[in-house]
Amino acid sequence: MIGPGIKRGTAELAVLSVLEEGPLHGYELARRIEQQTKGALRFTLAALYPMLYRMEQRGWIRGAWEISESGRRKRCYRLTPTGKKKLSPLRKEWSELFSALRRLTKVSHA
Amino acid sequence: MRDWEAIVEQHLSGLALEPAERSEMIAELAGHLAETCEGLRKQGMTEEEAVRLTLLQVEDWQKLSRLIQTTRTKENAMTNRVKQLWLPSLVTLVLSMGLLALIQIFGPKPWLFGWNGRSRWPFVAPALMVYVPWLLSLPLIGGMGAYLSNRAGGSRRAVLSSVVFPVLPYLAFFVLALPVVVILNDHIAHNIMPRALFVGLFAWVLAPGAALLGGGWPAQFLLSRLLVSRRIVGG
Repeated sequence: MIGPGIKRGTAELAVLSVLEEGPLHGYELARRIEQQTKGALRFTLAALYPMLYRMEQRGWIRGAWEISESGRRKRCYRLTPTGKKKLSPLRKEWSELFSALRRLTKVSHA
Repeated sequence: MRDWEAIVEQHLSGLALEPAERSEMIAELAGHLAETCEGLRKQGMTEEEAVRLTLLQVEDWQKLSRLIQTTRTKENAMTNRVKQLWLPSLVTLVLSMGLLALIQIFGPKPWLFGWNGRSRWPFVAPALMVYVPWLLSLPLIGGMGAYLSNRAGGSRRAVLSSVVFPVLPYLAFFVLALPVVVILNDHIAHNIMPRALFVGLFAWVLAPGAALLGGGWPAQFLLSRLLVSRRIVGG
């Protein structure tokens, strides 16, 4: 199980990566992240929305009300051009960090 | 069927946001809870159990309210400060300095004023150098700064700070840097310093500041009157 500190750091990357595939509303976004990470990353409402609002304020994502197939009003989030630009360096940073950790743990086990 | 909106509304009663923003947020969070509950029901849980687990999505409503509030106000404050103060200030500074540089290179010669006393030279230091075209253009730049800050919803203080921003580096120089230079440098004649300070302050701070305010102040006054009348018309 991944600890809360790492989760906080990866949360923005997770949201941006999932939204890159297409617009989603909050509930579906949380579900998709949970499915794709096989339950390693789970967002409760309390964790998800403050982060979404923060990312929206920064201009990385944009929320807009839409009517779903079931006729329900839902706020769908989509990636903005700024968010797309942000995603690439974030991916690189995390990839470098994980590679470094992988190397480090190999050394430790040797 | 639970009224999730009422539940969220009740728990987030302390959330101080604009009414429209608040109700949208409540609708969104309630929608999330409703879908979570439906999802759990589809997994075969009883209504009671599904509701209990759904409510576990938020362990501490006060913390959530505080987090949302902080997110909104902090980010807004940051964005607003940039839009209302720093951006207009930067525009007035760049325009003012750019124009001064152009006038110094391509424009007419500056007007020179000074004291000749008993000297045989026409002027002795400190001489007052006035770039008239620059001074004449400053009210327009001040007005532009006031417009940009006012349009972003800046307070009167933010608007006026943006207007006079170009003279602040000069003010800092004359008030802080110049006395330090005089103290440290023995080669500068100390007897002319009070006069030089006054001349410098007048030429680079007071006169341009007044010119900037000459455009910025009326612009601020007119724009705020316009805003008030719009509010009255809009109810």
